[in-house]
Order: sequence, then structure tokens, then C-alpha cells
Amino acid sequence: MTQNLDLTDIQGNIVKAYGSFGFFKARYLFLRIDDGDKGRGFVNRITTKVTSAERWEKDAAPSVTTNIAFTYSGLQALELPTASLIGFPSDFVMGMSKRKDILGDDGPSDPKNWDKIWQETVHIWISINGKSMKDIEERYQWVTQQIEASGCGVILLKGHRGEDEAGNPRDDLPYQDASVLYDEKGIPTAKEHFGYTDGISDPVFEGQTNNAARVLGRGKLTREGGWEPLATGEFILGHIDEAMEYPQTAPRPDLLSRNATYMVYRKLHENVGTFNKYLDEQAEIFPGGKENKELLAAKFSGRWRDNGAPLVNTPDNESKAEWDKKFAAADFSTQKRMLTDFSYNDDIDGAKCPSSAHMRRINPRGSLEYGVKDAFDTPGALVNRRRILRRGLPYGKVNDATSDKGNHGIIFMALNADIKRQFEFVQQQWINYANDFKEGNDKDVLLGNHDEKNPGKVVLKVERNSGKPPHFVCNIPRLVETRGGDYFFIPSITALKMIAGGIIDPT
Amino acid sequence: MGNKSGNATALTVLSPIVNGIVDGQSFADITRERCLRIPIHEKSPLAKVPNTYLARLFILDNVFYESLPGSDSVFNFSEITSILSDSARKKALPRKDQLKSKYLVFSSNFHGDLDEYLTGMWEKWSFDDHGQQRDVRYIWEHCVSFEGVKDCAGFISYIKRCQLEATLFFNGSTDDSLQEQLKALYLKQEFSKFAAEHQGKSAADLQRAFKTFIERVQPENLSQPSWNPGQSTL
Amino acid sequence: MSNIAGKAYAMNVITPMRWYKVWLNRLIFWAAQKVPNVLNGLLTLSLIHYARWVIIPRDKFPRLDPSQPKEDLEYSYMMFFSNFNGSWAQYVDSFTFAIPSGLDLFWKMNVRYPKSVPLTPFHDYIQHNQIDTSHYYNAYPMAASNDVKSAKTVKKALIDFNAASSNKTPEEFLEDYNKLLNQLQHDFGEMRPTPIVSLAAQAVKERYMESHAGTR
Repeated sequence: MTQNLDLTDIQGNIVKAYGSFGFFKARYLFLRIDDGDKGRGFVNRITTKVTSAERWEKDAAPSVTTNIAFTYSGLQALELPTASLIGFPSDFVMGMSKRKDILGDDGPSDPKNWDKIWQETVHIWISINGKSMKDIEERYQWVTQQIEASGCGVILLKGHRGEDEAGNPRDDLPYQDASVLYDEKGIPTAKEHFGYTDGISDPVFEGQTNNAARVLGRGKLTREGGWEPLATGEFILGHIDEAMEYPQTAPRPDLLSRNATYMVYRKLHENVGTFNKYLDEQAEIFPGGKENKELLAAKFSGRWRDNGAPLVNTPDNESKAEWDKKFAAADFSTQKRMLTDFSYNDDIDGAKCPSSAHMRRINPRGSLEYGVKDAFDTPGALVNRRRILRRGLPYGKVNDATSDKGNHGIIFMALNADIKRQFEFVQQQWINYANDFKEGNDKDVLLGNHDEKNPGKVVLKVERNSGKPPHFVCNIPRLVETRGGDYFFIPSITALKMIAGGIIDPT
Repeated sequence: MGNKSGNATALTVLSPIVNGIVDGQSFADITRERCLRIPIHEKSPLAKVPNTYLARLFILDNVFYESLPGSDSVFNFSEITSILSDSARKKALPRKDQLKSKYLVFSSNFHGDLDEYLTGMWEKWSFDDHGQQRDVRYIWEHCVSFEGVKDCAGFISYIKRCQLEATLFFNGSTDDSLQEQLKALYLKQEFSKFAAEHQGKSAADLQRAFKTFIERVQPENLSQPSWNPGQSTL
Repeated sequence: MSNIAGKAYAMNVITPMRWYKVWLNRLIFWAAQKVPNVLNGLLTLSLIHYARWVIIPRDKFPRLDPSQPKEDLEYSYMMFFSNFNGSWAQYVDSFTFAIPSGLDLFWKMNVRYPKSVPLTPFHDYIQHNQIDTSHYYNAYPMAASNDVKSAKTVKKALIDFNAASSNKTPEEFLEDYNKLLNQLQHDFGEMRPTPIVSLAAQAVKERYMESHAGTR
């Protein structure tokens, strides 16, 4: 790897998906700063426990992590100089709720229907990831002590929807808990509430890993069909990006923005009852009928629900059975490779993995070149600047799989150097629109903002010249609703100390 | 011909605007304001001008001064000679150009023959401006020598005097007539709906429904049913 | 009123070029049309309805009357007009990364053109030399260039199918109909109004709609 990252300076959640390091639980806190001076003192104390991206030796990992980020108004409240503040991009300055028309947050996803906490002014986000609830609880107590010590300079905001310990619905919780889902045997899984395996092929960027195998299917596709890590600057400010320049979203001075990034926090409620009902109904009319229900579910996401097998390599039950056999017999690294190392070059038509499938929508790999070899400078020309690191965990429990009621979904966190160019672009152009896929306004089945007035529709393609018609999936209801969120800036540890010390000077 | 790609035609018009002021406002600003007030989409006068695919109006106030640092990417004599003398170095710096007139720019992409198109502009262009019906003369009124335009033939020859040739015209779409394009869009939308709604129907039902469908959408009748020019909602 | 009309964006860029390079640029454009590969990337991107480059030699700005002052210019000018789908940034990004050499080729001769990569100097160059459109008309605000082309395919296939299937038995009809759907499977995307790509443009349009709601 050519790039060495300052791992002790970068916050740990940027480089690591904590979930895959055994941190199965998380708690997210949101705070408001009422006094700049006391607020900086608070940040100073939290910074002492902020987890960096430093590599953990085997068995030397901590049992709990802490990370911190700020909204634009949070940085204002911390009294950053105006000359620094004007360097932030307009999307971050506006915040997520004001971007609703870009993001398609309408109807049930409209900010007016979000958890009550989002009616408040949010300044700070703190995340605690732990291996057990006990670890979380201890660190949470420590954070609340720091809040108290701030002498009303910092307030912990209440207003998350969820269930309290007794299982009663509440809308005034002081934090958002999240956790991996466990199977019947109590073993942690990588699944979310619809039953899909999540977060398999997160992007890999330069400096993140020395293991070339981890780049397969996760970096950028080369003309020769290989994979290279993406430029660091796509995900961390102060480093060269895919445009061969430093990200333009960095505020001054350099020490404020270097090794920082932007985070999109979104609480996404999953309408499990609607999803299950819809999938059952649609399976009835899908070729092969109920037998092929799992195939249809895979057509929605691009991966099979049970083990995440990529549909493009397992387009039917037979090939899937074969793949499963190989997968079961394979060692860990081969398994990883089987899950991530693929492209759509042999499936430009989308007959195997539809271009409306969620996974293909958010990362079309080389397929936007439409098989016209050398049409573009590089096969991923339209993709490499649209990648996001996905962090986050499921939240809540599904008590009744036939109902949408209750609080369960995903705490989705996307990290990128440019929210507008990366996250917002994917959300708007690829999830809620499809001109790049030559599918008009047809949306992502799972995440699209379908509603009764504009029910979703996608066309599942079949092999060309097979004489078979494609399959139309119609009247798609809103399966996922936004329940809140905002845009955050995750500074480096150096910058945290400078913010806390009130010594940011862009002169 | 640079202005043609099959039957698609590029029309580039730069009409100089008279330098002058009336009631404290320049003719160029009056013209710009008139352009800005033209209603959009289906209410645009261009929706009435047959065969207009996409068209625009704006005022070219001036050209831009390239004060940016850097140099031409391709060899330029003075940059070599600038090593030898300071006066040569100064020569290599970007010059400042100023236009002496402002220009009304009209750029249109349309199907077919230029004379026919301009006839359509002369005859069909109309829009409602604060309760008053305006024709094409309202936009060009303050352009140099436009007062001499009295009829369609005069308009055609005027526009041709202002016309510039495209060096490269790229057609990333089709060169069919607008009616043909709009009918095709209508059919695409309707047939997509039909196909989705009739998925899984029996052969006999499908055949019957298809017949009714064809009777309704009349694929070969270009005038109707179809989408209207500039139609912005379903 | 706006650079946006439905799914199309109107871009106007005017850039100076040294007068003695005009012929060279004309040659490049001529070559681009003759050598199909140069436009391959542009066609694959498929984001443009129509675009054109117009070179105005420094002594060829239209002069219609002796009363009109004669232009006295140092440079010749190149005007670029594009009708593309998507937002400004998306378009410029896509072009920069997909066909950097093509962009460089077309603008090579222009004074102080910075090359398309890295992106920001190129962004700045285009933005600096861009003129906003006062009135933009699009005959099909709900259709992207992809849709217009796809619609042509659908129309022809539908007419051909209808002509060929009139006397078929239901079973034969179904078989052919399924073949038709297979052939058209990439052409069934639904067209609706554009997603909002610019909050500012959307605000302008909403104010416009409000002010015109009562009058007609």
C-alpha cells in the first residue's frame, strides 16, 4: 500500500466497522451545547476516551469504544471562527432535514414525522460501541458524569422512539440503542429485520488494509478486471481523492479538516409486516411460485437472504445449492472472497442480478459502461466517486412479523468526504431514480420512497433472446421510512483537541 | 454541414441588441427581462413552434477575461519568447476583450428544414405576458435593424444574417419529428403499463386486451392520443 | 427563468481561443466526427439530448448595420451549448471521469484551459465561463435522452408486432408477445417528473407556479 494513514489521529469508526470486531451493541447520544466555553471543556474530557483507528493486536482490543462528531450548528456553538465555518459545504451546513427534497424524505419519512429529538437542535453525536451491554452502560455512565460536570453547558437531548426496559413504547428516550440481531440459538448474525445479510462489501480505500484479498470486489474495478483500493480522499479529508486532488469540502485550517470526514446518520424504520406480506404476495405470481420466494427476495437486494450469496453468481436454485456447498467447505478468506469478488460484466442485461437490486443500485461496479469496452477512461468512471462507507447496526426487536408497528430498523451511518457527491447522489439518483440504469424513474425496491400515489415498479430482466418475458414487480409499498437523522463532521483527534482548546485559527 | 445531424438541426443565433436606454433601462436589460418572464413548459411559446426539441434564450453581455493562472495546454509561441524578453512575457498574458454590443442568443435544436422552422416561429410563437398576448417580435424588438422586419420572409432573412454555423453538432438522441418523438414517449409509457397490468393473463384474454389497447393508443396516429409539447406532469 | 427544464439542464459556455488556432480546432472536430471511437464515450454516457460547439472567429460576430459598433477582439471564441440530463455537478463529474481525453481534445485550443483532471480547476473554468439561460424550453420535461431513444424502439416494435400478430391464434400470439416483451425488457422504465436536483431551482419554480396559479 502506498498510503500510510495516521491511525492514531483518525477516529476509529471511520476505519473500522466495529460490528465486525465483536462490538455487537451500540448506544448513540445526541447533545446540545448551551455554553461555548463549557462545551469545549466537555469536548476536552470526552476526547480523552475517544477511540482512534490504531490497529488492535490480537486480544488487545478494548471492550468499549467512544466516538464523537458535530453538526454545523454544533461547531458554531463551539465558537469556531467564521473563516473556518464558511469553508464547510452547503449540504452539511443545511443539515439533513432541510435536504428532504433531495433525499426523497416525503410522506411518512418527512422530518415532521421523525422522532421528537429531531425537532430539537442537535449539536453533538456520541457513539458508544461495546461488546456487552455492561460495557456500554459503564461508558454511558461516564459520559453522563461529564455532562453533569459541564454545569449545564451541555444537555443530553431526549426524544428517541423505542421501548423502555419494561417493553413499553416511549418517545422520550435519552439515547438510541442498537444491536446486532441474534439467531434462535443466540448467535450474533449480520442480518437486519427483513432477513438480509447486511454490510458485506463495504469499500476499501488506500491505507486501510495490507491484505490484497480484502480489496477484491470492494475497491475499484480496473480495466484488466482486477481490483485496487479506492483513493483515501474519497473517505478521509486531507488526502488525495479519485479526482487526483484534495477534497474540496475541507474547511480551513488544514489541521481542522485533515483526517476528518462527514457522517450521515439516519434512523430507518423497517416496515416488516408490509415487507413480509408483499414478498408472499409477489412470490405467488413470480415464475416458480412460492418455491422461488427466496429467489425473488434475492432479486430485490442482489444477495440471497440466508448467507448473502451474490445473485450474479447464483442466479437460480441449482447454482445457489452448488455455491452453498462450496461455501460451506471453504475457509474463512475464501468465503469472504466468494461474497465480494464479482462484477456484472457478464450480466450487463441484469438477467441474473437486476439493476434494480439494492446492492447493484448502490454500487453498480463496472456495469454503467454497458459492456462497451473502453468507452470510459476506467470501467468504474461513474462509480468510484459515489462510494460510501457504511457503518451502523440494526435497532429494536420485531415482536410481530405481520405488523409494521413498533420500533425496529437500521441505524444507518454513511461516511464520505463529500455528502452531496457521494451519499446524496446515491440516494437521489440511484435509489429514488434510475436514469443511469436506463430504467426511468423506477426506484430501488427496498429503499425507494414508494407511496400509494406513486407505487413502485421494477422490471426483473431475463436472458436475452430466451423468448421469456421479463417479470414486472408492481405496486411496491414504502418498505423503509426515515425516522430521523442529520449530517455530522467527525474531526481527527488533533482537531478535537484544538476545538476543545479553542485554538482553531484559519489565518 | 455542421448544423445538421440527419434531420436534426442546430440553430445558433446571435442578434446584436441596440446600445441604448429607455426609461432608465438598457435595451439589453429590457430584452432579458422579457425572456425571463416567458412562461415555462407547456405554456412556453416554443411549445407552439412545431418541431422544437429543446431551445433557449439568453443575453450575452460580454466575454470573460481569463485571469486564471496557468498557460495554454498546447504550444504557444509567446511563451517560448517570453524567456527572452519582458515585453514578450507581457504579450503572453491573457488579454482583456470587451464586446461592443450585447447579443440576444437563441439556440434551438429542432427537426427539419430551417425555413420551415423559422416560418413556424413567425406564425406560431405566442405567449401570455401579464395578460397581453405577445408574438416573436416582442423578444427581438430591440435588436439591431429588427425594425425592418415586416413579414415572415423578412424574419427568415434577418435570423439567417444572425446565424452562426456549428462546428460540431452532437446528436445524442433521435432526429425524428417532434410528433414522432412525443407519440413514441406516450406509447412507451402506455405499453409499459399495459405489460405490467396484463402479466400472467391467459392467451385469449391477453390477445383481446391487446387489441383494445391498440385501438385506444393508435400507434400510427401521430396527432393523438399523445403527449403534448412541453408536457411536464402526467 | 432557469437553467433547468424538467430532466434537462441547459449549459452555455463561452471560452476564448487564439485566432490562429481556429483552423486546428476545426480539424479536431472534423476528425471527431470521422473517427467513431472519439464519440463512443459520449454515446455510452447517454446523458445528452443535443450539444454543439460553435466557433466564432473574432471578426465574425454578426454585424447588421453600420450603426452597430464593429467588434474589435483579440481572441476568437468558442461557444458550447449542451442539453444534458442531471445536475450540473453530476454532468461535469461524469464527463471528467468518463471521457477526460475527449474533453481535453475539444477544449485544448482554448486560452488557459486547465485540462479536465484534476477536477476543481476544470469545474472552476467551466463555471467561470458559463452563462445562465433566461428561458429554457424542453419539449419533454419528463423524458431523459435515454427515454426518447428507448421510446423509438418501443414504437417501432409495437407497430411491427401488431401488424404481424393480427391473424395469430391466441397461443401463437402469446408466444410472440412474450418475445416482444423480452426484446423490449430494457424499455419499460416509467417516466415521471424529474427528482429535484437543485433546491434553489425548485424554490424558483414553486414561486413561479404560485404566481401563475391564479392567472390561468
